[in-house]
Order: sequence, then C-alpha cells, then structure tokens
Amino acid sequence: MTPNRSLAVLLTVAALAVAPAMTPAMAQQVGTATAVNPTTESTPPGSGTVNLTVGANIVHKERIHTTPSGTVQLLFVDKSTLSIAPNTNILIDKYVYDPNSNSGHMLTNLTEGALRFVGGALSHQGEASITTQDAAIGIRGGTVTVVHGPNGTKVIDHFGIMTIHNGAGTVTISRPGFFVTITNWNSPPSEPQRVTAEEVAYYLKLLTSQRGQNGGVPGLTNVTIGACGIGTLPSFNCPPTPWNPTGTAESNAFQTIIQGTQRGTFTTPPRRRGR
Amino acid sequence: MKSDGVVLQFCARRTFSWLRFAGVLAPIALLGLWTTAASAQTSPDFAGNLNPLFQANLARPSDFNNTLQYAASASANDIESAIGTYEQLLFYNPTLSRVRFELGVLYYRLGSYEMARGYFKSALEQQDIAPDLRQRTEDLLSDVDKQLQVDRFSGFVSTGLAYQSNPGGGPGLQAALASGRGFDSRFFAKSDENWFGAFALNYVRDFENQRGDTFEAGVQGYDAQQFNLRQFDIGMLEFRAGPRFVLTPGSANAVSIKPYVIATGSLLADTAYSAGAGGGLTLHANVGNVSLDPYAEIVQQSFRNSSFYPLASNMSGTLSTIGLQASGPIVSGLGWQTRGAFAHSSATFSPDSYDAYVADLWLPWNFSFPGDGRTWTLTPIVGFSNWQYNAPDPAIDPNTTPRTTEWRAGVGLDVPIWSKVYMSMLVQYRADASNIAAFAMHDFSVSGGPTFKF
Repeated sequence: MTPNRSLAVLLTVAALAVAPAMTPAMAQQVGTATAVNPTTESTPPGSGTVNLTVGANIVHKERIHTTPSGTVQLLFVDKSTLSIAPNTNILIDKYVYDPNSNSGHMLTNLTEGALRFVGGALSHQGEASITTQDAAIGIRGGTVTVVHGPNGTKVIDHFGIMTIHNGAGTVTISRPGFFVTITNWNSPPSEPQRVTAEEVAYYLKLLTSQRGQNGGVPGLTNVTIGACGIGTLPSFNCPPTPWNPTGTAESNAFQTIIQGTQRGTFTTPPRRRGR
Repeated sequence: MKSDGVVLQFCARRTFSWLRFAGVLAPIALLGLWTTAASAQTSPDFAGNLNPLFQANLARPSDFNNTLQYAASASANDIESAIGTYEQLLFYNPTLSRVRFELGVLYYRLGSYEMARGYFKSALEQQDIAPDLRQRTEDLLSDVDKQLQVDRFSGFVSTGLAYQSNPGGGPGLQAALASGRGFDSRFFAKSDENWFGAFALNYVRDFENQRGDTFEAGVQGYDAQQFNLRQFDIGMLEFRAGPRFVLTPGSANAVSIKPYVIATGSLLADTAYSAGAGGGLTLHANVGNVSLDPYAEIVQQSFRNSSFYPLASNMSGTLSTIGLQASGPIVSGLGWQTRGAFAHSSATFSPDSYDAYVADLWLPWNFSFPGDGRTWTLTPIVGFSNWQYNAPDPAIDPNTTPRTTEWRAGVGLDVPIWSKVYMSMLVQYRADASNIAAFAMHDFSVSGGPTFKF
C-alpha cells in the first residue's frame, strides 16, 4: 500500500467512522418530551435505547416505544404535538422546520399502536404526514388520531383535511368526526364514515395519563382558569355567541307600522303653505 | 442532485487515485453528516421567533404554571397549540375537570364536536367539578349533541307584555298642527300596552358529505295585540330556505354560500296587509374570530288596502337589499354583533319609493354570578336608519321630498330562570327627525316576558 493510498483509506475510514458517532451530537432538538409515563423508551439515532424522561430532547430519526403502561406527549418546535398511546412504536422519520419562513416537513412513521397529532406550523402548510405500512396520511390543518395494528390502519379526522393514500387509491377526509380504514397497502381506503362517541371516548382515555399517573410531573392538583362568564380571571376560550340580535322582530314590526302610518293613511293637503 | 452529477463528471475526467477518491469521499461524508444534522433541526436561531412562554415550555415542560399561562394565551388565536398544551396538562393530572372543559371548548370552536363532546362528558365525570362548571358544561354539551345530529332544530318562543309611548309612530298633536295638514287622528301619538308573542324555528339538514353542505330553513313570526289601539295590531311571518354549500371544506375559516328563497306576510289592524316573495344569496366567512355574512336579496312586495290603511297598495313594488351581518368577540364574555344594510324600494306609486340605510350594533355580554354557571346576557343596542324618499308626495307636501333619520338605543337582559327558560326584558328609545314635521316622532318602549330557547 502506497503512502497516498494509506492516507486515502485512513481519511475514508475516519469519515465513515465518525458519522454515526457525530449524528446524535449534531442532531439538534426538534422537540421535547413534555409528558412521559413509564415505561417509555427512546432510541436516538446512533445511540442505545434509554428510558425517556420529561424534558428530554427529541431529535430527528429518534424512535419512541411505549410499554403497556407507557404514554408520552411530544412537543415539536413548530408547536405541533404527538400524544402516543401504550404499546406504540413510532419513528420521527424526518423533521425540518424553518420558523422564519414557517416551512419544512415532518414525517412520522407509526409501526404499531395509536397516536394523536395536533397540528402546528408545518401541518398548516400541509407539510406533515404520518405513514404506516398500509397508507400515507397527509395532514393539512389539523388534528388526527391514527391507529395501526394487525387489522390495518384507522384514521380519525378531528379537524383539517386528511389525504389517505396507498397503492390502491386516495381518499380525503375533510370533516371532523369522520374516519376511514385501510386494511393494507394494496386495498383502497374505505369511504369516510362517522366515528362513534364511544370510540372517541376510548381514544381520549387511551392517549393520556391513566388515573394515578402524572406524566412525570407531580404536583398539579388544581388549575385556575377564568372561563367566559365564570370567575374573575379573563379567558379568551369562549364559544361563539349565537347570532341573536335582540329586539329585531320588534323593530321590524314597528317599522312596518310607522310606514303604514306615514304612507298608508289618508291626509288632507295643507290648509296653508309656510310663510 | 446537481452536486452529485458534478462529482461524477469530476471523477470520470481524471485519472483515478485513491487519494483523490478519499479526498472527495471524506468531504461528501462530512457534508452528508452535516445535512443529516441540518435536516433534523430548525435554523440555528429557530428560538428567536417563538413565543417566550412556548420556548419556556419547550425548555422546562414541568413548569406547569408557565404551561398554563401559555395555554390560556394561545386560546385567543392559536386553538391547536392551546389544545396541545392543555392536553399536556391533562397528562400531569387526568382528573382535572377544568382542563377537560377548556379542551372541550377549544374543540367546539374548531367545529370538532365529537371531540368536544368527549371532553365535556369526561369533565362531568370528574369529582372536582364545581356546580357552576357543571352547569356550563351541560349547557355546551346540549348544544354539541344538537350539532352532531343530521336533522337539527333550534329556535325560541317568547311572549310577554309591552308598553309603548307611541306604538303607531305617529306625530304628536303639536307636530300635526304645525304641518298644516289634516291627519287621521287615530294615528296621533298615543301610548298603549300590548301582548306580544314571537318565535323562530330553524332547521338544518346535514347532507353528511365531506364538504359539510347543508339545507337550511327558518321561519320566524311576531304578533302584538294592542289593548286599545287596534289599528296597530300587527302580525308578521317570514320564511327563508335554501341549501348552503361549503367552498373551503376542512378549514376553521370555512367559506360557504347559500342561495335562498323568501316568503313574507303580515297583518295590520287584524287585516291582511302585505305579502312578499323573492330570493337572495348570502355568503358566510370567518376572518380570524370575526364572522361575516354579506347578503343580497330581492323581494316583490304586495300591499293591500284596508279601512285603516286605504293607501297601502301604493307601496307595492320591489324591495332590493344588500347588507352585512358580522360578529366577533371583544373580551372574555363580551362580544359584538352588527348589521348594516342598504335597501331600495321601487314602489308602483313613485313617491313611495325610497332608499334606506340601516345600521345596528349589539354588544352582548354573557356573565354568571359566582357559584352559578347559568348565563345572563346583557345587551346594549344602538341603531340608526335613514330613509330618503324618491319624490314629494302631493298629499303630504308637494314641495318636499321626505327624508327621515332615526336613532335608537336600548338594552336587553336575558335572565336564566329554569333549564332553557329565560326572563327577557327590553327597554328601547327611538327618535325620528324628518323634514316633514309630521314624520318626526319618538317612542319609548318597555317589554318583558318569558322566553324558551331550544
């Protein structure tokens, strides 16, 4: 081996060798684990599997796995969140976000289990998607629950436009409260149907702490939030007031009467003109 | 891709050497590492543009006071971020009814009624729920259940007693004398009381398609029977119906359009007075928290003469209106609603044709007393109208084209009595100024009675 060739080999090996070692160090935070119920495991790229804890950074290409008692919520820098159910495996497959231009892309792979995605800047640009082995779900908006298991994938739209695509076709859900199912990549997604109240309640319960759990943050025993019309602290979380213009019927009736009085009754011409 | 091509050409044109290969591969490998890392991050200063409370939540999620502050502030204009943050708090304590209630309201505001119902129901199941919050939650849950039905009915029925200082809007004796004209004395200003009844019934049929299209129909009526001045007994009925097509499905700021038909009818002095038929087009859009409903409609009206109103048929003709209804929140519990319209009446008797401008503003304030979640509503009202008639009426004043301006102000109060029954009260004052002395008038009215809302 010539000296040149030896140097070349050394450079190549060095470059390749440092690659996996540098990745986790260089991969910057794309989000934070904001709530973690044990046991939830995390596998950042190039590292071993560790138990995830509250406040841990989430990085690109990180895998998250929850056990039968584990649930977790991830908060991303574009303000989107993922709530992850027990017995779930996901991979943050791609995450690019530039807050200055509000652009980027987020791709999450759901291998098994269930998650709820609540949208942020990227999904508002239509740049968030979730994949399972049965379908790719493009999200514009939006808030969605995705469940994947041996029988296929279910997508429940809570808000926004979900485009479900696989090898057999594409279906779009654009109304909250509708879902589609996909049995495999080569079967077309079902037509959207209304989700039942029981199913919504089931996933609401599944995708958060169970009684006795605290998401890794103990001590929250009470909250003081001023509701619209309740309490003294202001809140802007108010349901819209229905359009109910007080007194309109009376006004319209009175206007009809005035018009009748002024235009519909007999008058006699002036007896004299003004001076 | 372009850089890969450049690299391949570079390699092909030159004699292969391991050093050069390594010299190329090493930077590519490092570049690959850099881009991998870069693709996993935001720009280095990504934190610069973010809300400080949000940044603090990213850095210290266990600081739940900060988290709560961020959730409350985000509720104003970033509903999804507020949802994610309240769901974070729910992870910390899933038994907090208050957090579940907030999540229910947030999903309600998004039009995600299934999720709203789920959170409201689970809020009611928590042991810490206070009576006022329970009442509030049950009220909203009732509305959510209605929104989830394919056939939806809503409306109100009310009745009561009213006093008016001038129920006919007629001139005072002095004004009539000053005009120099002979008036039917039965229409002079004179106070009276009446019994009134009003109702509205709205029906919505959800076509259950992915756009969210609906068919909407509504009928509303009003009837007032005077105790003494029967010439002012009035009954009015109005019907509107048409399909609503959603133009931007899946959006919180959905835009929809609705063509509709209109049918109207009225009785005056207990005799058939007018009937009308026509159609219109209205658009609905939300811009932020502001709801906008511009509309245009045209109604062919037919008035009928009677012993009290022998010249009414002169007003028959076409009434064309363009207008805008808009509403939005101001602060917690306080909102605004407004209506502005321009109407042009083209009557068969030319002097009865007119142009009119109408504007009204309502400021509904919803509030509750401590320990009682029932909602009281106090609504200040101000309004303005201007009528410009087309030509002088020889019978009134052959040299003056009537022009009248009205100002009105009032206040309404809805007091919850039991379940969906309210006691409604309204106090109003209106004053008309006109270049026809006999058209000037003022009226003070007080009305009140029970209202059943459904």
